[in-house]
Amino acid sequence: MRIVLRAFLLRLVSIVVTLLIVTALLYATVMFTPAETRATLYLPKNLPSRMTEQQYQKLIDNIIERYHLNEPYPVQYAYWLGNLVKGEWGYSPTLQKDVFTALMEKTPVTAELTLYSTLLFIPLGLISGVIAGAKKNKLADHGVRLTAYIATTLPSFILALLLMSFFYVDLYWFAPSRVSSSISLLINSDNFRQVTGLLTIDGLLNRRPDVTVDAFRHLAMPVFTLAIVHWATLARVTRAEMIDELNQDYVVAARARGIPERWITWRHTLRNAIAPSMTSSLLSVTSLITGVFVVEILYDFHGVSDIAVRSMAYTLDAPAALGFAIYSVVVVLLLMAILDLVQLFVDPRAREKRN
Amino acid sequence: MKPLRCYFTHWQNLIGLFLVLVFLVVAIAAPVLSPQDPEYPGPIKYVGLRTDYRPHTPAEVPPLGTLSTQISVYHALVWGTRSAVVFGIVVASITALIGSLIGAFSGYFGGFINQLLMRVTDAFLSFPIIAGVVLIQLIIKAIAASVVEIPSGGGEFFELQDLPKSLIFLLSIDPVLIAFIMFSWMPYARIMNSVVRRVRTTDYIEASRALGAGHLRLIFRHLIPNSITPIIVMAAKDVGGMVLLQATFTFIGLGGNSAWGMMLVLGRDWIISPGGIMTFWWVFLPATLALILFGIGWNLLGDGLNDALNPRTT
Repeated sequence: MRIVLRAFLLRLVSIVVTLLIVTALLYATVMFTPAETRATLYLPKNLPSRMTEQQYQKLIDNIIERYHLNEPYPVQYAYWLGNLVKGEWGYSPTLQKDVFTALMEKTPVTAELTLYSTLLFIPLGLISGVIAGAKKNKLADHGVRLTAYIATTLPSFILALLLMSFFYVDLYWFAPSRVSSSISLLINSDNFRQVTGLLTIDGLLNRRPDVTVDAFRHLAMPVFTLAIVHWATLARVTRAEMIDELNQDYVVAARARGIPERWITWRHTLRNAIAPSMTSSLLSVTSLITGVFVVEILYDFHGVSDIAVRSMAYTLDAPAALGFAIYSVVVVLLLMAILDLVQLFVDPRAREKRN
Repeated sequence: MKPLRCYFTHWQNLIGLFLVLVFLVVAIAAPVLSPQDPEYPGPIKYVGLRTDYRPHTPAEVPPLGTLSTQISVYHALVWGTRSAVVFGIVVASITALIGSLIGAFSGYFGGFINQLLMRVTDAFLSFPIIAGVVLIQLIIKAIAASVVEIPSGGGEFFELQDLPKSLIFLLSIDPVLIAFIMFSWMPYARIMNSVVRRVRTTDYIEASRALGAGHLRLIFRHLIPNSITPIIVMAAKDVGGMVLLQATFTFIGLGGNSAWGMMLVLGRDWIISPGGIMTFWWVFLPATLALILFGIGWNLLGDGLNDALNPRTT
């Protein structure tokens, strides 16, 4: 246990170091722009709609003075970082909101999508990888490999178009966007208490199963689109690991003792194969996050990606764009830390390696 | 087995090579296959009234029919191939170059330099590419806004020639291209780093050093050529991956100039129609097939190269 704790603390330190490097690099790129542009990061909320040129210039000069935007890079960076830690991420003119508040409001939407697709692809990827590895070069193996190949080469937006034209237009089983309009009225009314922000769970907590059902109907297609790519990667890695493990001596010994093949596969080898496979999903956390945002845009989900899209669509909105970038890095690092911790608990070898 | 013979013994590799060659030939022969309209150079060519929104069926003149506003599907497909091939190869080779240089230098010198460069690599690895695209877009916009006052009110027009040269150059940069290069070199650096660190203590490097070879000669003459195989394999797969990602970004409206992505943007409203999905098949099927085959082709090529060049698996 102490080893796990130590490894976790080390991990935390490395996260902080990575965050410092990332933010320093980010601010270094922002330094390419002139001080007047950087001042827009600190524009106040109650900006009058009509200002003369002089008034605006004076305001900008004030901001530059107050936030030390003419100082050398390290000083500016330190001030900016201090503001970030305090949660002052700037006010976004396109969102009409504080960037930090907007990000926090949108987080449950993205989290729900990520959660369900992770819950789908990790078990399925492991199971199909194990089956493919155990039945190497049999029909099941070829099936899994072919599906995985198609899944990785099929762009997500084409899959989204296909799914929507079939399951939404033809069959009307599932639908794009987050909720139906009638349900959306309900959840925004006072009768509906938002506890977690995840609609599928909040629906149950409010004793409104129809909300949960509706949320799942809207989640089905995006979750599938997101999960299938990562399922393919996980299945492939697990298959390779299983083939490696099944050639080990202890498997031969177990077979010689007459232990059933199924027992060997699911009890003995899977345990050893699971940790390296999880490491591969650790590496693909960034692509998972990019995938989540892409899928959100494809299915009109209006999660965190909304902030990026809006900041891109209109004129310069530095707080939103920068906030979005920092937010995604923080999320990636947190997910990596969680996966790392899980691995430390699951795999004793990982614990020994840290010492 | 010799690498070449090993490559040609598997039918998957042959398919991969064939697909890639087809795309390369189409890309090179694009001006012959579908001549440009001198008034509108680029992958978009109008072959009818631009106010006509209904896609027209394939006929003699536009061989694959038209998209809405009468854009020739065939022309966009052919010139889209050229831009996709160029984009993929440019991005993959530049990222491979940057990544392997960083990895080789940090692995060769080791110690503090290695620690620093690998931490920076880790920092970049935790950066989702979509955030990179947004960020690069922001920087370009911010610099552009500081160079020239972009008129905010209506009624003011300015000619393209009046803009300063630097601004025209700035606006012609593709943010997606820059972001892809900046945020995908890390895996190359990691692979190169681990291989170089393993190889640099071997005897032949020591021998070369004893003969008086300098740092640069050791790195470029001995270390990089001996660790290049995984880099080549990864770059070949990346050509396909980058083009698919570019099309995705174009499709969701975050920039990128993928002609295939643009075809699907224009075509998506016609996929679903009362007569069934195949009524307007030519608006989405050519671009879709091109994208999928492009991805599969480069992936198969990469897998084949891996089997052929990697001595352990053969």
